[in-house]
Amino acid sequence: MGGFFSWVAGSGVVQGVIIGGALAYLTTVLILDAVAKAETATANGWKAIRRAGQPGNGFFVRAALQKALPVVNVFEEAAYWTAEVDGSGKRLTGERAYRVHFPRGQLPPNDAFWSLTATDTVGYMVSTSSGRSSVDDHSGLLANADGSVDILLQAQAPNGATQNWLPTPTGRFKLMLRTYLPGAAIVDGGYEVPPVVEVRP
Amino acid sequence: MNRVILKYGYPITAVILAIFVWVVYRRIADGGVQAIVPLAVVAVVVWLLGVFVFIWLWPRITVGGFKRAILRHGFGGGPIPVNTLYAVPHRSSQTASTGSLIATGADDLLYVGGWLDLTAGPRVLQVPEMDGRYYSIQFTDPSSGANVAYVGTRTTGTGPADFLLCARSRRGEAPAEMHRIDLPGRSALLIGRVFAAGEDDRVAAYALAKQIRLTAPGHSE
Repeated sequence: MGGFFSWVAGSGVVQGVIIGGALAYLTTVLILDAVAKAETATANGWKAIRRAGQPGNGFFVRAALQKALPVVNVFEEAAYWTAEVDGSGKRLTGERAYRVHFPRGQLPPNDAFWSLTATDTVGYMVSTSSGRSSVDDHSGLLANADGSVDILLQAQAPNGATQNWLPTPTGRFKLMLRTYLPGAAIVDGGYEVPPVVEVRP
Repeated sequence: MNRVILKYGYPITAVILAIFVWVVYRRIADGGVQAIVPLAVVAVVVWLLGVFVFIWLWPRITVGGFKRAILRHGFGGGPIPVNTLYAVPHRSSQTASTGSLIATGADDLLYVGGWLDLTAGPRVLQVPEMDGRYYSIQFTDPSSGANVAYVGTRTTGTGPADFLLCARSRRGEAPAEMHRIDLPGRSALLIGRVFAAGEDDRVAAYALAKQIRLTAPGHSE
């Protein structure tokens, strides 16, 4: 037995287990990310995964969606969109200012509420100087004359009214738009979230 | 810790891979190519089996992470015992500085969390009169990660109700005044969400969230 153990120790079997295990983990991450990407619908830079949390997903999909959006609601309960890029595909950063323009009647239809949150790149809310990190359908958004609504995303307070301002973290950030009890237009797939557009000074 | 790994995933991976290359290189330098045959064979076998096992276990590992967070740490009020629910009194933005899991949530919701274990028999979920206020309680199965049941505005309405939570294999009828919910396994992650319109509404929402309770069935069986 002693000979066997010293052979194991010297042969590289232990190192093989460690290397194989670590490569298995990395391969799993790559596979699950690829599966999650295939399950993700992207429109205007916003990503949504309709099958997250649904019963009946297969071996790969259920694992991939737990990795992408752990223990989130099913889509009929809450629709989630995330954006890490603006409408032209550039990474969102607090160094720049952005606007999301919702035409009249195009705020997310719902039977509960919607909210737009700015988080760090991992998904955690960040303390902002204003103490606010989301805007929603009950935070007193001001409509334009034509009934449309603009939401401003920037690190510094805008000149004038601040009701439509979503303070952003200073570095790279991520947006999460949640719509609880989404309306038929969302569940059917007809609704698209407008793009995040950079505002040039 | 998770947050650190997620944020620095690429550099950490690069360092680990560099160490592996160095280990293999040292072996070849010392004993020629044949010196890495056992290492290579074992690595490939573990790699292939490992991928299958990791994918298979991924939902369980993820939901298990929430289980540990609930049973060991809780959400600010200390560990949450099995078969009890804890209502987080604060909104997500108020926990932003702490790095709490709750800071990944929505600011318009108060969260309720708990771990359900039906090994010792069914449990009862009580919900109060929500009077039209949006709320939901999600039951997530640990083996698949699927949300196997919901109680709340969308599925059961906002009136007061009692639900008998059973493992699917269990026979017998629920008492007449209770709705029966069958779960595929003997345990589930429970996540409750109660709408709070803002700081002014938070106290009222919290009073309701605290009344969402898990209890033992009133009569012995």
